[in-house]
Amino acid sequence: MDNRPSRHRLVRIRSSRCEPPGERRLPKREIGGARVRIGLLTEGGYPYVSGDARLWCDRLVRGLERHELDVYALSRSERQEDEGWIPLPSHVRRVRTAPLWRAEDGGVAHGRRARRRFAEAYGELAAAVCTARAGGLAGEAAGGGSEAEADRFGNALYALAELARDEGGLAGALRSEVAVRALERACRAPGGLRAAREARVPDLLTVAAHLERALRPLSLDWYEDDGLGSVDLCHAAAGGTAALPGLLARHFHEVPLLVTEYGVPLRAHYLGASGDAPVRALLAAFHRHLTVEVYRQATCLTPGNTHARRWQERCGADRTKIRTVYPGMDASRFAEVGEAPECSDPHTLVWVGRIEPTKDLISLLHAFAEIRRAEPKARLRIVGAAAGGEGAAYLGHCKTLAAQLFPDEADGVHAVGDNPVSFEEIGDPAVPDLAEAYAAGAVVVLSSVVEGFPISLVEAMFCGRPTVSTDVGAVVEVIGGTGLVVPPRNPRALAEACVALLRAPERRARLGAAARSRALELFTVEQNVAAFRGIYLEVVSRAPVRKLVLDDTGEPLPFGAPAESRVPGRWTESRLVTGSLGVAGVAGVAGLGLVTGRPRWALGEPVRATTPARATGVPPVPPATATGEPVPAGEGAR
Amino acid sequence: MSELRLDGLDELDGLDELDEPDELDGAGGLDGVGLEGALGARASRGPASSPGVKALRGPADEPAAEASAGSGAGPASGGKLAPPPTATLDPAPDPTATLDPAPDPTAELDPAPPESAAPSPKVGGESLAAATSKPALRRGAVDPVKALMHRHRELCERAVDPLEIAAGLEAHGVTDRTAARFRHRDVFSLAEEMYARVPRDGETPPERDPVPGAPGAGRGWAVLALLPGALCAAAVAGVRLVEGQPRVVAAVAAIGALAVTLGLRVALGRGPLRAPSGTRSRTRAWWTCWLIAYALLGDGLLAAGLDDGPHGRWPLAAAPVLGLALACAPAIWCAHLLSVRARRKLAASRGLAEFADSVRPLLLGVFVLYMCALAALLALCGALLDEPAAHAGAGALGALLLFARLLTAHGSAHAPAVVLCTASLTEAFALVTVFASRLPGYSFLAVPVETVVAAWGPGAVPTLVCGTAALVLLVHATRTLTRASAHALPSEDT
Repeated sequence: MDNRPSRHRLVRIRSSRCEPPGERRLPKREIGGARVRIGLLTEGGYPYVSGDARLWCDRLVRGLERHELDVYALSRSERQEDEGWIPLPSHVRRVRTAPLWRAEDGGVAHGRRARRRFAEAYGELAAAVCTARAGGLAGEAAGGGSEAEADRFGNALYALAELARDEGGLAGALRSEVAVRALERACRAPGGLRAAREARVPDLLTVAAHLERALRPLSLDWYEDDGLGSVDLCHAAAGGTAALPGLLARHFHEVPLLVTEYGVPLRAHYLGASGDAPVRALLAAFHRHLTVEVYRQATCLTPGNTHARRWQERCGADRTKIRTVYPGMDASRFAEVGEAPECSDPHTLVWVGRIEPTKDLISLLHAFAEIRRAEPKARLRIVGAAAGGEGAAYLGHCKTLAAQLFPDEADGVHAVGDNPVSFEEIGDPAVPDLAEAYAAGAVVVLSSVVEGFPISLVEAMFCGRPTVSTDVGAVVEVIGGTGLVVPPRNPRALAEACVALLRAPERRARLGAAARSRALELFTVEQNVAAFRGIYLEVVSRAPVRKLVLDDTGEPLPFGAPAESRVPGRWTESRLVTGSLGVAGVAGVAGLGLVTGRPRWALGEPVRATTPARATGVPPVPPATATGEPVPAGEGAR
Repeated sequence: MSELRLDGLDELDGLDELDEPDELDGAGGLDGVGLEGALGARASRGPASSPGVKALRGPADEPAAEASAGSGAGPASGGKLAPPPTATLDPAPDPTATLDPAPDPTAELDPAPPESAAPSPKVGGESLAAATSKPALRRGAVDPVKALMHRHRELCERAVDPLEIAAGLEAHGVTDRTAARFRHRDVFSLAEEMYARVPRDGETPPERDPVPGAPGAGRGWAVLALLPGALCAAAVAGVRLVEGQPRVVAAVAAIGALAVTLGLRVALGRGPLRAPSGTRSRTRAWWTCWLIAYALLGDGLLAAGLDDGPHGRWPLAAAPVLGLALACAPAIWCAHLLSVRARRKLAASRGLAEFADSVRPLLLGVFVLYMCALAALLALCGALLDEPAAHAGAGALGALLLFARLLTAHGSAHAPAVVLCTASLTEAFALVTVFASRLPGYSFLAVPVETVVAAWGPGAVPTLVCGTAALVLLVHATRTLTRASAHALPSEDT
């Protein structure tokens, strides 16, 4: 478990008491900070209103106000595009989007030479995908064989990307007969995947269509010098397709890549795969190769929990570059409840979550029957809505079972009876919000048989409630030593643990306090943002982008990208601020990141190239400072 | 709860739809039978191995045994003495935590009573035997992975990769701690063993999903294919009815032409001849209109031009146009036949070359069928409208238009556009040479056309032009339409 302390780099410089008040320095100064231009890569995510993980991304972006952000977003559907973006903070300098759901270039016809290049590159890609692995996975073997195989896949991928950059979109070519024929040849080749050998023509067509969709990011125009070439760091908010542009930016411009994975896209692909065996085999092999390539090329990997970390290690990620960064959650909603643990009813158990079969409420009800036998005053509140039709059916099932197990009870002969198990939803009069739901219970129970990152558990910890949970998914990792953990599908053990807690109020209080402090240390937004801030600086300091600035004769310009351009905030004299703002603003709009952050003598007609060898092919960037006096750079374009 | 969804982190514990409630419960029951029964036997292999002692073991014994086995501790034999599983993670073990594990004899809520779970219909022969008879139980203890494989046999048989089994096992709640009970370091190595142990010798290839049919877009297209023919017939009938009043005739003809064009658009806008989105080309539509207009007017104009005319109105050839409009229906039906048959062959063929070989005769057969229908329609129209029955030009034009549309519908729009453009320009050029030859000194311009017309009549010009163009497209089609990629379903972009 990764329990590293949060990576604060904040040092407070306190003014000494002898200083007069007027000479006090600013209280806060970041030591070792630098301004980083981050390219945030998302797929069906952040700026869109209906995107995945957009709350997390939004908090991250808002937490990075000292840096600059370019957002590169791939949208998943037309509906998502129509719904628009969430409001963006001002230090997001640019948002570029591209649809993944539609091929944009139907009509690009390649010439003969481009077709030959495509056939070679695609054939190599197909061959790399179809080659059966000799031993285990790349991470297990890590021998020369898997290394060479990964190299082969990567080289083919980059060859396709270069072709797309030189000749235009690949959508037509990727669905053409050339591609299908290359796939067929690779499948029939000796030493190929066993399942792929039986691939028929429809399978080949399906695979070709899927690969075309998966490789659409290759045809984007994001990889120019003023696109992803101008950022210091690519941060992919998910693995898989979202990381593909980052992979290409790394290939074209040596931009370091940071990949955050809260889920494992490869695992999701395996679980969601459908179709015939050859199709699934080929697609799984492709996605596995892509994942391995992403993990190989990434400078840093930040899985959201140990489960994702295990998959990453399994897929060949180098352990030295994996840092677990727990997702951050908003703790302020639970502050009031968390500070007042005594407001709960000492006989009430609470379960909160989405009602689904995998939550195993049946087991919980059986356990509660035993709890009632030991503690007749115990009550169980199940708070949550059913998810989907299956969940609704399951909820009905659970309600029936609860009614069978527990007859309605009343205090006396004249009182109206009530069932000790209640099913409620957030928004009911008794449970106005989530914090109230947790506040009602003395113990929070989790009875799932399958769980990823248990958010309800984290919320319970924020509320300072002791928890009893089943040992599934990331539960042990989240709970640490601050709650009780029982095996899944074991109602008796669950009941014993609950009874133990119900009978011991002091222990409840102790565990609750420990849980709250643990959650506040590990799962807050601040922790998340601070961790990423530190990782950014570390990545940039270790793998700086070598931006070579050329003057108009093609000679490299010494000190063209000085260190001062990284100084956060304003470092120039205040009298120059007015002049520089306009120019920097223009540069920001035009996306000429190279102009900002350059001393005045470096502002001529600059030409930037990633490597000197490619310098001749790069068109000169138009001077952004054509008018007015050259201004000192380093002003952030804000 | 909204936070759960908004965070997007809930997808971590998603994919739950894989489990249906009853299936899950069945698995739970099985767990109790196959796994814990086996483990219980393993844990208490000593004196507790007699059936009587097994029956005496209270329900509370099972969690304890499971916990000790799950923690991976070596001495799993002390199942009865193991601490309660709940206390393992408590930072401050509390005296009250050591609950009395006295089994309640009346526990009707026993977590997984083997006897009650055994008759579950899901239990296969093996674990049923493992649950009921003692020797079988011991066998299960020897090979617990086999029982696990039996429980997840569908997953194992379906898997193409050890990782797929690992993902499936995790979705069923198997963790590394569970894997430790199978003497494996983690789920991945357990999955690898399971993948390696799936029998694969001489297996028959599993039955395949049927290849989805052509995108029908409703069944209306088969009837709508008749629309252009019907409209054209109505227009011709209208023109015939009002004959003698030139203005009215012109108006009716114009309305009829417009209606036929619209009808054509509607008929071709759906069904098997629908052009894929993104390949709409205005110019191709114009060339098509020009070719049809030439079929209507061109022969008469050419003849009149060679005769130093035209003197007043020259005769219109309504029969070829009516025939072509009526032939829309067989064209669309033939295209449907082609796509359905080709898709069937696609599913049946093992390789691309095999597919090409089987589609080529199909393509030619469909073409012949269409030509027969077209010839019959043209003859019928000629007979009905009392026009001379020389319709070779219209037939060639029909073939040309069919191939152009077929190729466009199957994704190669470039060649048809070029060929249609060339054919139209050639016909226009023939007309222009005839009239340009009247200029003094340029009479040689009309010589080729005059020669052709003298030999075979004015209908020979479109016959030659369209015939050549159709032949070119036929050759092109036998190369492109026999490719598998031409018959791929359009991507379901969502």
